[in-house]
Amino acid sequence: MADAFLFVGLPYLALVVCIAGSIWKLRHAGFAATSRSSQFLESRQLLWGSAPWHIGILVILLGHLVALFLPGVWSSLMTLPGVLLAVETIGIACSLLAIAGMTMLIVRRLTSARVQAVTTVVDLVVVALLLAQVVLGLLTAISFRYGAAWSTGTVVPYFWSLFTLRPDMTYVADFPTLFKLHIVGAWLILLALPFTRLIHLLSVPFQYLFRAPQLVIWNTARRRQQAVTATVQAESRRDFLKGAAGVTAATGLLSVGVLEKGFNYFKGPRPDLEAESALLGKKLQRLQQTAEERSLELERQRSAMILVARYAELQETKGRYFIDYVMAPGLAFKGRDGVPIVLSAKCTHLGCTVGSEVDAQGRVLCPCHVSYFSVTTGEPHAGAPAKLPLPVLGWALVDAAGKVVLSRKPGGGVEGNSEPALLAQCSLYITKPGGAA
Amino acid sequence: MLALHHQTRRCGVNFREKVLNTESYLAERFPVEKLNYASMVEKKEVPVHRLSWAYYLGGLALFFFMIQMVTGLLLLFYYQPTVSDAHASVEFITEHVPGGALVRNLHAWCSSAMIAAVMVHLLTAFAMKAFGKPREVTWVTGVLLLGITFGLGFTGYLLPWHQIAVNATKIGLQSIEEVGNYLPGQLSTLPTLLKEIIQGEATVGQATLSRFFALHVIILPLSIVMLLGLHLFSVQIHGMSQGIDEAPKRTEKFFPTFFLKDLTVWGVAFMVLYVISVCVPFESLYSYPLFEPFNPKGSTPDGIKPEWYFYFVYYPLEILPFWVILLGSMIGGAVLLFTPWIFKNTSRRTLRVLAAAAAVYLVVMTLFGEKIYHLFKG
Repeated sequence: MADAFLFVGLPYLALVVCIAGSIWKLRHAGFAATSRSSQFLESRQLLWGSAPWHIGILVILLGHLVALFLPGVWSSLMTLPGVLLAVETIGIACSLLAIAGMTMLIVRRLTSARVQAVTTVVDLVVVALLLAQVVLGLLTAISFRYGAAWSTGTVVPYFWSLFTLRPDMTYVADFPTLFKLHIVGAWLILLALPFTRLIHLLSVPFQYLFRAPQLVIWNTARRRQQAVTATVQAESRRDFLKGAAGVTAATGLLSVGVLEKGFNYFKGPRPDLEAESALLGKKLQRLQQTAEERSLELERQRSAMILVARYAELQETKGRYFIDYVMAPGLAFKGRDGVPIVLSAKCTHLGCTVGSEVDAQGRVLCPCHVSYFSVTTGEPHAGAPAKLPLPVLGWALVDAAGKVVLSRKPGGGVEGNSEPALLAQCSLYITKPGGAA
Repeated sequence: MLALHHQTRRCGVNFREKVLNTESYLAERFPVEKLNYASMVEKKEVPVHRLSWAYYLGGLALFFFMIQMVTGLLLLFYYQPTVSDAHASVEFITEHVPGGALVRNLHAWCSSAMIAAVMVHLLTAFAMKAFGKPREVTWVTGVLLLGITFGLGFTGYLLPWHQIAVNATKIGLQSIEEVGNYLPGQLSTLPTLLKEIIQGEATVGQATLSRFFALHVIILPLSIVMLLGLHLFSVQIHGMSQGIDEAPKRTEKFFPTFFLKDLTVWGVAFMVLYVISVCVPFESLYSYPLFEPFNPKGSTPDGIKPEWYFYFVYYPLEILPFWVILLGSMIGGAVLLFTPWIFKNTSRRTLRVLAAAAAVYLVVMTLFGEKIYHLFKG
């Protein structure tokens, strides 16, 4: 019966009173809905009490809230032993910090005459309640270790059963008394929140971070001067802090970006099997092309004749590319009379490769600077950027038996038999300049 | 005997005078007594007037050079300078390496930005007479740096080994050979020899790629760093030039005021460059066949041309006879190099007009060069 009241009745009472009371308080009390400041009366002890208390309790409260509202995230984090240990250590350290701070605050309230003058009974009840609550929590944490892990399967479902209006006490019934007291303490604090200085939880002055500093001054000339100096200092400190924060944030973002990009860049791609084989295939193909070029080069150094094409493959309107003895491109055509025409295809202007399509006037075009070369003579058209004709290369038509049927040396005329039936059996070779063909 | 003695003494005096003159000349160009914190940082001031924006251009070029170094080093991790692998490795960087496309794009866009910054820097320095005594060293090193920067652009263009790269390089190198037509007798073969030395073999091939790679990655950057050291040293020790004829009414501290503004300009420039590099692949300005791997056996594709920053000499080269360009560029180079002595007594007003004319020429040739070419050639 007592359990039913403490773990179902009290919570709902506390929640309803807390919500309704806070709304009422904030609407009616306005700026008074906060804790009464005593900083003017005593500031030294306050610093050493208030700062540790608030730092410690905020960290602990944050941990509780995360565990309560994100149980999935929290419990998956707690499965990592390192994280669990770190959370336990931080929690215990922070509760010690909070206890120390709160002790200092209580001592201050009890010993300083000035503070006593503004202290009410309710204030004392609240600080006692808070101290007791933190001590109970610390004791629970030490007596039943790893509460961060076990609470997600026990306390969190209890809280959610309350929030979802299906109160379930089975989780809490078997808790040790120490922990039950800690839970009851939490409801009591919630209950007291609207009517005590705890209301300042809901009126955290976040806007202080963004407004200009306000200095309380005494209205004498000296004090005014001091205040002006102090304002100037405070303003410049604020500007510096703002700038430093901006630069730090920007640097942080930049380094995160650069690190992420840099890391992935050096790590390189991890292509899947298909992409990898495509890449390898391409590389191999390029290597083969290079090897082919190298072997062409070697062939040109060693042999006196190089095969261009079979005679039957030559055309009048479209040239056939090959590589000549200086490793420059060449073009082979069939002339109107059936005799092959073999020209260098390296433009005599700036060395581009001349196109292979013969136009209606019997010319090929160098696309780089628009020079038309006559196929029959190799001469460029009048006014072309190229001034010299495409050189005529030496060639030979060789029949299946390896006998030269028809040939031409550079600068010389065509020699041999040009009977079409005979030529059709032949293959076209270029002959080494200066060599015996 | 006495006469001889007298003569040697006179000679000695002359010699000593010459040494003293040289000393004072050098002392004026390198005032080492200013080599301290107070005069180089604390007291250094930048004039504020309507041409003040030009003071940012040198720093901007330096910033672009730093980006080039970083992105270039990154590219080195994946690039392979061989005829068979170069194109494939560049493709690998662009298509597969995480962030590779960005790095390569940054490198490509930033090279253009660097050259543009350097060119405008030269024009404004000329217009502001920033080469006046004692800043001759700054000017001459600057002109040499410009040359090296163009060299970096030319050598870097070949490295991807695609059609436009190799063919444009071929054309560029071939124009060296053209010079031979204007040389008498035996000398006429020299340019061909020179071309083959640069190329490393009879045609543009593996040897050329290796040489250009070494030039682009080691030799030219090292030369830039060394010359840049001298350039920046003389800028820093002499302070900013006045820039206008009348004494500037206002100045601002170099440190921190101007320095912070400089950093702001760098930040904005980087952002613009970054956004462009993310959004616009620089290849998108050309048609694809130009970016196929170089094929030595096929015909040269249409539309081979150098990078935009060579247009100002490329299109005139297409239109006018070769000797005009040769003569023009030789005179132009000499004038640039000896500007501090040629324009010693020219007023800033005249210099501004000259610089504006040069700027108009550069802009017109770069933007409308192709149209002008078609106008002349039909």
